[in-house]
Amino acid sequence: MTVDREEDAPVERGGVVPERALAAAAMAVLCAITFANVVARYLTAYSFAFTEEYSVFLLVVMTFLGTSAAIATDRHIRITVLVDKLAPGRRRVAGVLCWGVAAVMFGLLSWYGGQFAYDNWRFEETSPGLGVPVWLYTVWLPILSIVITIRALMRTIAAARGNAP
Amino acid sequence: MSPIALLFGGFLLLLLVGTPIAVALGLSGTLAILAADLGIMAVPTNIYAGVAKYPLLAIPVFILAGLIFERAGVARQIVTFASSIVGDRNGGLAVVAVLVCMVMGGISGSGPADAAAVATVMIPSMRKAGYPAAFSASVIAAAAATAILIPPSVAFIIYSVLVPQASVPALFAAGLIPGLLAGLSILIPVVILSRRHGFGLAGAGPRPPFWRSLRDAIWGLLAPVIILGGLRLGVFTPTEAAVVAVFYGLLIGTVVLRTLTFRKIGDVLAESAEMSAVILIVIALAGVFAWAGSTLGAFDAVADGILSFTGNEIVVLLLLNVALLGVGMLLDAISVFLILLPLLEPLVAAFGWDPVWFGVVLTMNLAIGQFTPPMAVNLMVTSRIAGVPMEHMTGWIAWLVLSMVGALALVVIFPELALWLPRRLGYL
Repeated sequence: MTVDREEDAPVERGGVVPERALAAAAMAVLCAITFANVVARYLTAYSFAFTEEYSVFLLVVMTFLGTSAAIATDRHIRITVLVDKLAPGRRRVAGVLCWGVAAVMFGLLSWYGGQFAYDNWRFEETSPGLGVPVWLYTVWLPILSIVITIRALMRTIAAARGNAP
Repeated sequence: MSPIALLFGGFLLLLLVGTPIAVALGLSGTLAILAADLGIMAVPTNIYAGVAKYPLLAIPVFILAGLIFERAGVARQIVTFASSIVGDRNGGLAVVAVLVCMVMGGISGSGPADAAAVATVMIPSMRKAGYPAAFSASVIAAAAATAILIPPSVAFIIYSVLVPQASVPALFAAGLIPGLLAGLSILIPVVILSRRHGFGLAGAGPRPPFWRSLRDAIWGLLAPVIILGGLRLGVFTPTEAAVVAVFYGLLIGTVVLRTLTFRKIGDVLAESAEMSAVILIVIALAGVFAWAGSTLGAFDAVADGILSFTGNEIVVLLLLNVALLGVGMLLDAISVFLILLPLLEPLVAAFGWDPVWFGVVLTMNLAIGQFTPPMAVNLMVTSRIAGVPMEHMTGWIAWLVLSMVGALALVVIFPELALWLPRRLGYL
């Protein structure tokens, strides 16, 4: 079960993962922009609702950074009731399988996400709100997917060595 | 293998070996898309578009607000205030725990966060007053489940993103009466059990003075008023209400109570970013699963299968609730929404059910699942804080589950319990 995840995550403890700190920064900026928007709308006639585009982009970045951090700390939602009942040898196989599969998913996403961003660049698409080139936003999808893939691979190796749940 | 078999079979298999749910959904969807040659670029497109949505911004901000109020320690002042009203004899402290869970549920939108905030403060003082830790932990886990029904609620925001006909304000209003009803359904067995077993007869000391404790608690008590009042008056969108709550919480934590240090704030930001990412990545990758399933016509096929088995509305509703309670025991509420809503939507349309009422019924089922073993997220939190293994709590939990199922039955039989308030407020 997921009860004592913080304590028994052997790979990295919470705060040391850089993705976690960056995700926190994205969260802070996101809140600051949204709050500034509310204040500006009520105290002045001036509205900068166009920042919505940046907020949504920060949401995507925060999601991928946080996903990577949560792989390191094993905080992702997964069913461990069945795997926990297995003998240690089989549990190791299941561990390698489940994190290896995660590496495959984000590996695929790095590749096809790269094509997606490349298409945005090739066709010179611009965002409907601010006219920013779309690839500047979407290029982070493959970049951060590569980061997640590496984290998942580290976890797979740890599982193969038998020191990860 | 047919793409539909690959989609459902692959998902189940990955889920059972312990793969993160997000990955199980995304990969089975991707494989089905590849097998049926539907166009692989749907994968990155759906994943990016799945998260890049303005309404989803409310989720991380509400999670952050809940954590800030938890770490600022407002629960302690609210506990003192509630005991000044209820008193602490004859099960009084257990009643206080349930009431505080409900108030905290009006600030945070997630059950485990609510359970953590209340359990940290209440379990030690309940132990001093003679309540067994297993009982206290069970009561708090069950009462904290009302957090996803009492607005604001992360579960309702996600439901609204998936079912756009049901607006967030309508769902928030619809959740209020069923949420209070669920709280009441916990209070009744709690009072009966404490009296029968003689828990809390000793009391935990002199009753705190009313006015003084009101003055200390008022900062925390105002938070739900600001959030819900702002939403009701149409002053804020849900995201704005959440961000106002965040800055209000920061103000209380740094200036009024002086419990939040710079370091703690950084910690809370990282914690909430990670918690939100875990939810949002499931939403992103579930988009691939849902796109593959609906393009292949898989969900309609399943719904047709159910309808050809029986067209009786009451039988379907009954089976649905039993199935949901079962699924809710194994999976968390948000994953269940993302996996099952595409399957359930054709059924809702076929019977002409109100989508807002259906959202409340669904959420209530999953609230019960939050404290029903084996995968009970709230119980995990309270059992860790109380230092009691979950198996020791099942005897108490059974009564609380049974009682909240009663409250659920009332909402299923009388849809007006959910729909009266949003209609009255003009959201329907």
